[in-house]
Amino acid sequence: MVEYDRSQSPEGASTAAPRICIVGIGGAGSNVVDRITLDRIVDATLVCAHTDVRVLGHSMAPVKIQLGAELMKGIGAGGDPDLGREAALFSRDQIRQAIENHDIIFISAGLGGGTGSGAAPVIAEIAKNTGALVLVVATMPFSFEGRRRLAQAEEALELLQKRADALVLFENNRMGELILPKDGIQKAFNQADQLIAQSLRAISTITITPGLVKLGLDDLTSALANANGRCLFGFGEARGQNRGSEALKKALKSPLIDSGRLLHQTKNLLVHVAGGESLTLVEVEGVMKQLGRHVPDQTHILFGLGVDAKLGDAIAVTLISSLGLNQLNAHATAAPPSEMLQPRAEAPAPAPAPAPKREIPVKKAPSPYAPPAESAPDLLFKSDEFASVPAAGDAFPLNSLQAEAAKAPTLEQPVAHVEEPPPFDTFEEPAPPPVLAPAPETARIPVRTPAAKELADAARSNSKESTLAAVVARSVTLQTEAAEAQDDLISFDEPEPEFESQPASSGSSATAVLSRKSTAESQQTFSLGEEDRGRFKDTEPSIVQGEDLDVPTWMRLKKKLRR
Amino acid sequence: MAKSTIYAGLEIGTHKICVVVGEAKRDGAIKILGVGQAPSRGVRKGEIVDFEKVQTCVNDALVRAEDRSDVMIRNVFLGVTGAHIESLNNRGRHRLPDEQTEISEDDVEEAKEIARSVSIPQSNVFLHSVTRQYIVDGQEAVRQPIGREGRVLEADYHIIHGVRGRVQNAIRCVREIPLEVEDVVFNPVAAAQVVLTREAKMQGALMIDFGAGTCDYVLYEDGMITASGCVPLGGDHITNDVSMALQIPNGRAERLKVEEGSVLYDEVPEGEMLSIEDDTGLILGEIERAFLNEVMNLRTKEILIQVRVRVEDHLGRLGAGIYLTGGVSMMKGIDVVAREVFGIKVTRAGSAPVSGITATFENPQYSAPIGLIRYAQILDSEKPFLSPLKRLGRRMQELLSSVTL
Repeated sequence: MVEYDRSQSPEGASTAAPRICIVGIGGAGSNVVDRITLDRIVDATLVCAHTDVRVLGHSMAPVKIQLGAELMKGIGAGGDPDLGREAALFSRDQIRQAIENHDIIFISAGLGGGTGSGAAPVIAEIAKNTGALVLVVATMPFSFEGRRRLAQAEEALELLQKRADALVLFENNRMGELILPKDGIQKAFNQADQLIAQSLRAISTITITPGLVKLGLDDLTSALANANGRCLFGFGEARGQNRGSEALKKALKSPLIDSGRLLHQTKNLLVHVAGGESLTLVEVEGVMKQLGRHVPDQTHILFGLGVDAKLGDAIAVTLISSLGLNQLNAHATAAPPSEMLQPRAEAPAPAPAPAPKREIPVKKAPSPYAPPAESAPDLLFKSDEFASVPAAGDAFPLNSLQAEAAKAPTLEQPVAHVEEPPPFDTFEEPAPPPVLAPAPETARIPVRTPAAKELADAARSNSKESTLAAVVARSVTLQTEAAEAQDDLISFDEPEPEFESQPASSGSSATAVLSRKSTAESQQTFSLGEEDRGRFKDTEPSIVQGEDLDVPTWMRLKKKLRR
Repeated sequence: MAKSTIYAGLEIGTHKICVVVGEAKRDGAIKILGVGQAPSRGVRKGEIVDFEKVQTCVNDALVRAEDRSDVMIRNVFLGVTGAHIESLNNRGRHRLPDEQTEISEDDVEEAKEIARSVSIPQSNVFLHSVTRQYIVDGQEAVRQPIGREGRVLEADYHIIHGVRGRVQNAIRCVREIPLEVEDVVFNPVAAAQVVLTREAKMQGALMIDFGAGTCDYVLYEDGMITASGCVPLGGDHITNDVSMALQIPNGRAERLKVEEGSVLYDEVPEGEMLSIEDDTGLILGEIERAFLNEVMNLRTKEILIQVRVRVEDHLGRLGAGIYLTGGVSMMKGIDVVAREVFGIKVTRAGSAPVSGITATFENPQYSAPIGLIRYAQILDSEKPFLSPLKRLGRRMQELLSSVTL
């Protein structure tokens, strides 16, 4: 019998390793590329493309492309996808040169901004035309970035969907949960970048490395196939005893999977188990059995198995799946404000807000409101060599006025919000109770912290003669000999601007309210000196809502009354 | 197994360090054998700041406790507190394998595991993870799920965690004495075991352990621990306020607070004066009693409000009301102020009756250390019976793991 040597299999190491290229576009994309450069986790050509020359200067990628150097003069797209798109079109030759001759091209971008959403579709198209496999890894904006950016992101998404072979989409809102609320924002972004970088590596290894049970791109796309789906990704690696279940546990721990809770609803799940030569069948079986408990019966499990000598005695488990945005939101406990996302998700094709002049570079911009010719292919740019590429003819909205109208409420929203009366205004309404009589101007103190409010309330409700002001006054008069020292302690003059002197003339009333509010906020924090904390002066301060509670209560109340 | 077990509880408080030696009978009764106490130095807001001073004080207390109880103390249950300790509730959901319909022990373990895999800050360590209830297919308040039919099992956990370094410091401090730490217990959890009766826990109760350095609280709902935590404000803050308002040293302010102070100033007759004496009995000056009380009132109210802010969501469901314990709970009028703040029934309580030195268990100051004994007893009764050999092996294992900690 002739033994079949698996290591000699045609798709094994004998063929030339596929050439991979990773392109990071815009701020988010270049961060991911930086992360990959630093970690050296993927063997690939790394390209960073950005309109902003300063960001580009900081990038660590070996190949850098300044998009639209003449057009943008090295300044960012400023959140306008049109500018980003044009910039990319200007530099398309440069882009093609950089990404040519690769088998697989990853495009990483943060959607929603100018460069990311504008340039990514263009670059994806260029990449597609070089004949490579195009995989897009993109992030959707945080919900707090507003509906406008979300709309831009979804528009870009639609364009990308047609050009990429596979689209891996991460929800930034869920990324926010990767880290604990206490951790710094820097860590949060680092973690998110790391996760994206990890997923890039996992996808490339899964689709490229030879496997005993091979998973291909088709499996990947079917795992990710989900209308408006967001990627669920988990990766775990473990060694030593019990390594199989440990690795799976780690993979499930990924916040994007939420301890396996999110897997209950998935239709397709891609599982890839990789290990060194010591990988046993029992281990694989154990992993799959354990995983089975988290996954409903009807889920289609796409199973892959690979032996990678590089892993040594470790086992790596990768889980990839996708979940519709609706389901994801229903599940996520700390989900983004639903009113921001839910209606969007239901509307299949959101009106692309700022896109009346998409075909500018070729045509001479006929009229922004003119509907495009029915037959016009949905190409981002036309040039001779690309003209033959077919693309789904998906025209943009018939009536841009409608789009305009749809946009309007989103703009009005924040304004209406600003004009809401600030809570402390009501506080000024009641006539100053007798407690506060000694200092009439104190009726306008903006007491907002609950504790402070309570105290003030308490002070007021004690309508007996012992008033708060009297307490404080007594505390001063009490000591005869130490009067001066005490006074020093209490009066503690801080240069504090009066509310009334705030610029009330600054435009609309809304802005006036805002500015007043902000000054009030800054005044609220007490910068009392160390000596006011008495015996607690060398302990860790107990700060609650900007107040150091180690400072005597009466002293803090007095400071408030003084104002 | 011996008929009864002797435990020692050590509480390193901000005001005092207390060692309680108790005997837990097999029928569940506790007998206090001895209490050793020493004033505390080097502790601020419930946390150790000066190792050497604390160790001296612990030694003092230990010697006294050993003397009175005639027991050699080797192992202690250590009560800890501090602003870094936080709590949360988490639910772990486990779906049974398809071919299985009856919940087995493994499934419960799995659900527990998932519930416990909550993400806490990396620097933190679990102090307690208490099972609140199990939920089988959406049916709540299941106490014993093993053997039941079901598809989905959820374990509901209350998790208390604190900063590893700070907890570790307390343990290290005690180890150097040398004493072996059997377990670390969050103070209010221990105190609640003796302050709150089973009925109170079922009806819903909030226990506030108002100590010198911190104000710890535990909230029970339907017999399940629902919230717990620590407000880093306490009796020392009241003293500090008094001392700064009257410009007198801390020691005298403390004495004034304990002997004369009250948090009620409404009914104090106008103009009633108090004389402040120095150590030799010389009268330094006079202050108005109402003023002293008002300073104390403001601070006490503020601290209680801080507690209320943290448990606001659960206040509506407390049938048994508030239980005040800890040193400050002996302050005059604090129950009235607490009632004002929370708006529900307030009880001042010490430990529930245990036999032994009566003066001890009636004093709310000792709720936490006595609670430690009770906690130890509960912990032991939950442990499966182990043969002496196995217990030895376990001890060795613990010893080894503690070295690598």
